[in-house]
Amino acid sequence: MKKILGLSLSAMLAVSALAGCSSDKNESSDSRKQTIRVLSSDDFAGFREDAIKEFNKKYPDIKVELEHVAYDQLHDKELASFNAGGSAAYDVVDVDEIWTSEYAEAGFISPVTERYTEDMKQGIVPASMNIVSYNKEYYGVPMFNDVLFFYYNEDLLKQAGFTNPPQTWDEFTQMSKVLQDKKLVPGNASSWGWSSNEGLVCYFAQFLGSFGGSFFDDKGKPVFNSEAGVKALQYMTDSMNKEKIVDPASINANDRQILDAFKNGKTAFVSGWSFYWGEINADDSKVKGKVKVGLIPAVNGAPHATATGSMYLAITPQSDHEEAAWKFINFLGSKEIQKEQSLAAGSLPIWTDLYSDEELNQNHGALSEMGKQLESTISRPSIEAYNEFSKELQVKLQEALLGKKDAKTALDEAAKTAKELTSSK
Amino acid sequence: MKKNRPFYYLFPSFFVILGVIFIPLLYALFISFIDLTKNVRKLDNPDLWNFVGFENYKNVLTSSEFFPSLWKTFYFTITSVGFEFVIGLAIALILNEQFKGRGIVRGLMLIPWAFPTIVNAVLWKWLYDADHGTITGLFAKLGLTEGYANVFASSFSAMNAIIVADVWKNTAFISLILLAALQSLPKSVYEAANVDGANVFRRFFKITLPLLSPAIMVALVMRTMEAFKVFDIIYIMTGGGPAGGTRTLSFLTYESSMMFSKFSYGSSIALMMSVFIMIFALIYIKILYRNVE
Repeated sequence: MKKILGLSLSAMLAVSALAGCSSDKNESSDSRKQTIRVLSSDDFAGFREDAIKEFNKKYPDIKVELEHVAYDQLHDKELASFNAGGSAAYDVVDVDEIWTSEYAEAGFISPVTERYTEDMKQGIVPASMNIVSYNKEYYGVPMFNDVLFFYYNEDLLKQAGFTNPPQTWDEFTQMSKVLQDKKLVPGNASSWGWSSNEGLVCYFAQFLGSFGGSFFDDKGKPVFNSEAGVKALQYMTDSMNKEKIVDPASINANDRQILDAFKNGKTAFVSGWSFYWGEINADDSKVKGKVKVGLIPAVNGAPHATATGSMYLAITPQSDHEEAAWKFINFLGSKEIQKEQSLAAGSLPIWTDLYSDEELNQNHGALSEMGKQLESTISRPSIEAYNEFSKELQVKLQEALLGKKDAKTALDEAAKTAKELTSSK
Repeated sequence: MKKNRPFYYLFPSFFVILGVIFIPLLYALFISFIDLTKNVRKLDNPDLWNFVGFENYKNVLTSSEFFPSLWKTFYFTITSVGFEFVIGLAIALILNEQFKGRGIVRGLMLIPWAFPTIVNAVLWKWLYDADHGTITGLFAKLGLTEGYANVFASSFSAMNAIIVADVWKNTAFISLILLAALQSLPKSVYEAANVDGANVFRRFFKITLPLLSPAIMVALVMRTMEAFKVFDIIYIMTGGGPAGGTRTLSFLTYESSMMFSKFSYGSSIALMMSVFIMIFALIYIKILYRNVE
């Protein structure tokens, strides 16, 4: 008897230990107060924290829990949360434009087409509407209009005797050399984020576009291994290994880390996202007020094209508070908050009106230059297996940058994989 | 009746092991035979399971990444465990001698091992930094490299840099086990050898090493299996780069399952990895039991 008792007790103990992890479900003790959980990338988290306070003044019965991670971890964390349930799920997630087809096809994010007002459809910049559109549905509200901008340190350029930023990539090379020869920069004239991360694909897109190439042709066949693509990659490789105008540590840096060198006046050029503008003009920056935005250099005859990298907030089907979640993302996308975001973080607003807003133009020193850059862009391909394509391209680009393969071979191999990935579906 | 009693006491732990090891293992085995990508909700509906047999395994073996990854994993395992063993044994032998402050040295020796791997990885990443790393700076000052070297710019140096970091951390584990074994060796055997006039090398190779071999095996089994699964240190230090040069099997599994959501494909890699680890375990167990007998 005792034995059986001991046995059943120990069994119960084991079972309760296992069951302990799944007991806490969404607590909905207060039916009026709703909690929405938001997962955001680090870049705008600071501004979003402030915006939540304003949001709560307007909607005191909605509580917003904001979690943020570095951009490089965002996709993995989202995938894990989409496949999890209960308290691990988010109501609102931050989505990069390149993930739309993957998420939408798998049903990880819900369309919000019916919630869009006519005012939004007319007033938002078409490029921004594009990034949330997939198969005639809208999947969220764009948060900013972002591309890789070309920032240059005007002060250093003047000391080197230049009055204009470089127009072509040849000029970029020459000016970098002069800056280095005159010891105006301690090392190389520019750093890039060419480590194996999504930023590398963006930078390649930028070079590809400004050398006159594109990723896929109209029929969906990969063409980035054409002459323009090879020349673009060759230029990237040579600028680092032969001309020595690019910091060799670029191979380990990402598109966030290179900002530090620029902010400290160690480099004269940097190509980066719009949030750089806020950072460059922050109080801890040594180059505050000395930096201007120019067009991305391009080879003769090619557009000054740059890579797009906008993000938007979307609602997941796991959410029990879709109405509240919509209120929140709609609030962040509203004209007043968009304007505040531009003033505080330097990002470009999604509303067409705001580009001619007087107050904004006065306080945002680069709005008109940035607006010009928005006119010529190149987007990374929107394919369902995007991440696999991107990872393969990153590996091949790095092989070329490290001199393990020549540019043509590396791109041919990446194009072969791209073909396989797009044809299997 | 009394004879069975120990087994009853094992029940609770059996349940726990069932929950955290056997069920996940069977689950991984199951999804490696179906086509599960992107959305795991598919699992709720048996009609969508779509058994594909050994298709996933075939895809893994014919992919261009698997074998390079396998060699990299072997290289990492053999090199790092090799160094850890040689250095660890040397440290254990030194610490087995009587000298002043031995207790303090023993304590200090354990510090690297007590670090979480993540901390260790971040620490070494900074030491190797191409702009202001201590090690790269030292090498530049000594004239070994021209300026600050960029350690993570080539697969070969990146892999070896990771191995150094791993050896630094895990050597302490091997010396700990070997030291414990050394302390329990019978003194009388050494006294007898001394009387017979055996010199220090003879004593080491004829007495210490054979008597130590069970402990050596235990340490090697554990370290080899751990090293074969290496992931966290690589994730932090290189992220599998440059150009996929430090992509070991675990990293490949992570990439397939977590980044590309190819769960079935990832499970197949993971299970093939387990086969290798099982082979290691069997070899070691065989040697271990032979020695005990």
